[in-house]
Amino acid sequence: MQLADRVRLGLAVAAAKAVTAVVRGLRLGAASVLPGEIARRLHPRMLSLLCQQVKHGVILVVGTNGKTTTSLLLRTILEKSGYRVIHNETGANLLNGLITALLAETNVIGQLNRDFAILEVDENVLPLVLKACRPRFILGLNLFRDQLDRYGEVDTISKRWQDTIQPLPNDTVIVLNGDDPTLSFLGQQLPQKVLCFGLSEPELYLDAIPHAVDSIYCPSCGHLLDYAGVYLSHLGDYHCPNCGFHKSKPALDSQDWPQILIGVYNKYNTLAAGLVATEIGIATDLIFEAIKNFRAAFGRAEELTVQGKHIRILLSKNPVGMNETIRAVKQIQQSGQSSTTLIVLNDRIPDGTDVSWIWDVDTEPLMAGGGTLIVSGDRVFDMALRLNYSHCELDTNGKPEKLIIEADLEKAIATALALTPADKTLHILPTYSAMLEVRQVLTGRKIL
Amino acid sequence: MELTIGWLYPTLMSTYGDRGNVICLQRRCQWRGIGVKILPLDRETEADRLETVDVIVGGGAQDRQQEIVMRDLKGAKVERLRQKIEQGTPGVFTCGSPQLLGHYYEPALGEKIEGLGILDLVSKHPGFNARRCIGNVVFEITASPLAAELSAMLGEKPVVIGFENHGGRTYLNSTAPLGRVIQGYGNNGQDKTEGAFYRHAIATYSHGPLLPKNPFIADWLIQTALREKYQQEISLTKLDDTLARSAREALFKRLELTTAAKSA
Repeated sequence: MQLADRVRLGLAVAAAKAVTAVVRGLRLGAASVLPGEIARRLHPRMLSLLCQQVKHGVILVVGTNGKTTTSLLLRTILEKSGYRVIHNETGANLLNGLITALLAETNVIGQLNRDFAILEVDENVLPLVLKACRPRFILGLNLFRDQLDRYGEVDTISKRWQDTIQPLPNDTVIVLNGDDPTLSFLGQQLPQKVLCFGLSEPELYLDAIPHAVDSIYCPSCGHLLDYAGVYLSHLGDYHCPNCGFHKSKPALDSQDWPQILIGVYNKYNTLAAGLVATEIGIATDLIFEAIKNFRAAFGRAEELTVQGKHIRILLSKNPVGMNETIRAVKQIQQSGQSSTTLIVLNDRIPDGTDVSWIWDVDTEPLMAGGGTLIVSGDRVFDMALRLNYSHCELDTNGKPEKLIIEADLEKAIATALALTPADKTLHILPTYSAMLEVRQVLTGRKIL
Repeated sequence: MELTIGWLYPTLMSTYGDRGNVICLQRRCQWRGIGVKILPLDRETEADRLETVDVIVGGGAQDRQQEIVMRDLKGAKVERLRQKIEQGTPGVFTCGSPQLLGHYYEPALGEKIEGLGILDLVSKHPGFNARRCIGNVVFEITASPLAAELSAMLGEKPVVIGFENHGGRTYLNSTAPLGRVIQGYGNNGQDKTEGAFYRHAIATYSHGPLLPKNPFIADWLIQTALREKYQQEISLTKLDDTLARSAREALFKRLELTTAAKSA
């Protein structure tokens, strides 16, 4: 780094650190975005200068669902192996959030002394990040439709990834979910070393392809893909009967792997982190140990005990995510451990302002089982309406008997807790901003 | 009594929750004891199957998926679809679907895509630098005779609430607009028109999805489908729409449209 760069970097870092101190001192929040924004304005090459200093390299984690959980597992594995790791753990995954996270670990003159940086990156921001940062790994988890009001469509995003990854140096390692046709195809177009993870457990196939898919057509020729089976959404075992496109062979056998938390989606998160760790050279028994002892990130199958009741919070922010959390809840319900579910639907900027996605969710199983359903959030009536339309029989008063509508979140949580027997689990399915609110009510403290 | 809902390309044209329109029609039939079948009209469906359809539903698509549909909708299939709409089979077509039913769609990139020419309208994407039309949309249905029929059912002016999310802009020629925009962009953000109405076909940019929060349109579709099929007037059992009303009220209140909507 040149002297002028170093001086300017030092100044920008000092300014940003001062902002962090003020924001935290005045208890305005956790300062997860603003310091980065200020530093970026003061030094446009901030991200680049910070990334260069990471000793063993930067790992970028992209995908619609699972970024936070996967990053946290990978970080845990690396730390257990003795590495010092930075991670934008608050989930702030736009440019300013990445810079803020890196800045937090620098000294006052902007020196960064870390082995790895794990950066969760918003799928739309990846091209911008790649302009500033030469990662050692890019980990692509999946691409589902999500927040179409902000982002546009899956195909467009994948094409932009391809265009920005292609020119990167050949020693960049690309790790992708091979069960996702869009990503598998992307990998087959890249000149870099590409490793794929995926499931090889046909006993987990779904009975039918769910409605919430948009990538069951061949990314190469547009023909309908032929699926031997689907694990979730459009992730599965497929090939194209027309042009011969087929899924890339996984670099590890999922049958040999334990998993973190609950749900099929967490099998993918486990394999993703596991494959990167393996490629870095970490021993399998150490990785398995970290998987066994893993504790959830906030709101992602996170477990709490409040008023003596066991609670599990399952972030549900898009059709695929919610289909999978419903699947996990139903499984637990069938084993008799749960009877109460609270769904909280918000429509703020972090959630996406369009709530029509709830009609792509298969809510029918929730209404079919026993137990109590409580709905809350900014769009409580939209959610209630969706649930109501999951019934093919209409009972006498026109409302499902087990549906409780409570717009006030605190009251909704209190009701849900009161209706949960002491030995059972209360499941809460919130959108992103709703998840933060729920945690605040349950734990009495802010996290962002 | 039984109705068959023909669902245009369910896996290709249902990006934005438009499946809700099919669910809404299906349930409102079931709740009334009217038999209902859902017939997916996809690439594997023979053109003749269209004959059995009593009400048609088409949703929005991503650009690539829309192109696949345009490639498939040719020859006998198009003719049958045109006949159905001309003969008065009711239908609801959202977002990409009206673009498909017009003369052509000019995407931001690439060649003009020919439409079916059933509706006298054209759609154009003004380029990537233009803003997408995104947000809650509220409009009053003005198309004749639909507006009068809905008013009679409702006892008040039919005001629709939904969510629009489109890059393309639609310009109507001789086809009548479905309604007049109260809040949002509508067809093109300029002339205050929203959607189009032809025979018994409703075309709109309004997702949300359209029908669950505007159940009077769902009931109009069901009633029209029954009338066309059985050639007699059939009155529908009233359903409890308290939840839909509450959802509408909540949004009107947030958009500060309580009075505007009622006096619209």
